[in-house]
Amino acid sequence: MIDFVNVKKAYPNGTFALKGVNLHIDDGEFVFIVGHSGAGKTTLMKLLLREERPTSGKLIVGDYNLTEMSNFKVPYYRRELGVVFQDFRLFPKKTVYENVAFAMEVVGTPKKMIRRRVPAILNTVNLAEKQDSFPQEISGGEQQRVALARALANNPKIIIADEPTGNIDPKMSLEIMNLLIKINKLGKTVIVVTHEKNLVDYYKQRVVHLKDGLITEDKVGGMFQ
Amino acid sequence: MKRYSLFYFIGQAFRGLWRNGVMSFASIAILMSCLVVIGGFTLLVYNIDVNLEDFGLQNEIIVYLNFDLEEEAIVAIGDKLDSLDHVESVTRTTKSQALQQMKQEYEVYADVTEEENPLSDSFTIIYQENEKVPELKYQIQQIEGYRKLSDKADLASTLESFKNGIMLIFIWFLAILVVVSVFIIVNTIKLSVFARRHEISVMRYVGATGWFITLPFVIEGIIIGLVSSITAYFVEWYFYSYIETMATEDMKMITIASFDSIYLYVLIGFIGLGVLTGIIGSSISLGKYLKQ
Repeated sequence: MIDFVNVKKAYPNGTFALKGVNLHIDDGEFVFIVGHSGAGKTTLMKLLLREERPTSGKLIVGDYNLTEMSNFKVPYYRRELGVVFQDFRLFPKKTVYENVAFAMEVVGTPKKMIRRRVPAILNTVNLAEKQDSFPQEISGGEQQRVALARALANNPKIIIADEPTGNIDPKMSLEIMNLLIKINKLGKTVIVVTHEKNLVDYYKQRVVHLKDGLITEDKVGGMFQ
Repeated sequence: MKRYSLFYFIGQAFRGLWRNGVMSFASIAILMSCLVVIGGFTLLVYNIDVNLEDFGLQNEIIVYLNFDLEEEAIVAIGDKLDSLDHVESVTRTTKSQALQQMKQEYEVYADVTEEENPLSDSFTIIYQENEKVPELKYQIQQIEGYRKLSDKADLASTLESFKNGIMLIFIWFLAILVVVSVFIIVNTIKLSVFARRHEISVMRYVGATGWFITLPFVIEGIIIGLVSSITAYFVEWYFYSYIETMATEDMKMITIASFDSIYLYVLIGFIGLGVLTGIIGSSISLGKYLKQ
């Protein structure tokens, strides 16, 4: 469960990126966050990733109250999240397998478990046969699937995807979105930040519109305005 | 969950050093130079102390007697010296003993026979208080048979002032050199962090702890400190041994502490200071990463 209660965020230069956001997302929901540049999407994401703290209001994600959480707990909180970026952020010198395993290694997962889990995740994203390839040897869409597999590696409850289709062609975009839907059906909460109208309209999921730091519409089966 | 292998962190640290080869080399060279200079000053001060102790400078007067004195007269002078105020002890050195000592210390005296002995009997007086030296010297000079006296209090005071001056310069040097070393290490580690910024960003998002992210960089700082200190040790050893040999052969008045007797202190001191500088340098560069 994710709860934004009258969340405001002001930056040191005085800009209010969020001006009182109230948003409730239940476990297992699929939500598109849409809006134009400067609407507050990135700030909302940064708050969820606990890169920033709210200036006021309350933000609760599962058992964590992000408004009051100490820095010490941040890594443990982030293990509950899986993050996918527009630019993939894969390591070019690591194979597909190693890129996924890396996420597990850095949180101290035993090697035995890594060896068992990574192939299973790669199978989920249909990349089992590419596990020994390097990122530059596979397509953009496949690279994003690797990033998705890495996001799933630590079995997070929530997947946050920031413009996941921004760097790939429309056909691959559909593939990525289908995978996110599939992951959502496995019980994970999925939040997709995007400004791709066609995708949002096609999938008819819950759509939250942000404009000038405020939620202007929140509708299940909504459309990109 | 398992404890992450230390080899992983050490491996990452070496990769960082390799990736920023030039800066790593510069850090090691600068820190090593700083340690050699600091070590040089420390050893200089230590040797001044050794010499001060060796001379017994501050409470010793040697009284040299006339050459033609009979044994009875010499014994009488010894008794008189013993009875003076503020005298703690009086030890006689016969001219034969003096010659033997000279033969041992200087080769040129090796062939001198007893008949040719140019030295005289002397008494070494250990006194109690420095302030009474002028009075004591006056009393000695009144004794019949006295030829001259050697009192090294002035030399002691000069050496003491020299040592204090060196100490003052040393402290300033130490402060400046440590700051320079920390500064260069901070920049080396920052470059290393910059080179791995994408990796670090992914690590943070997947939930790696602050110490997991920063430990390789701290180890990188420690390796810089360790390599610098061990290199500095060998450089110091080489120069010190050279000076030690030179002093033993050509400057017999000066005592130089043998490197064998101090090598462990030098090594531990260098490693301690080098590693500490490495840790401080890397910690400064990593502050914000520890904060998440």
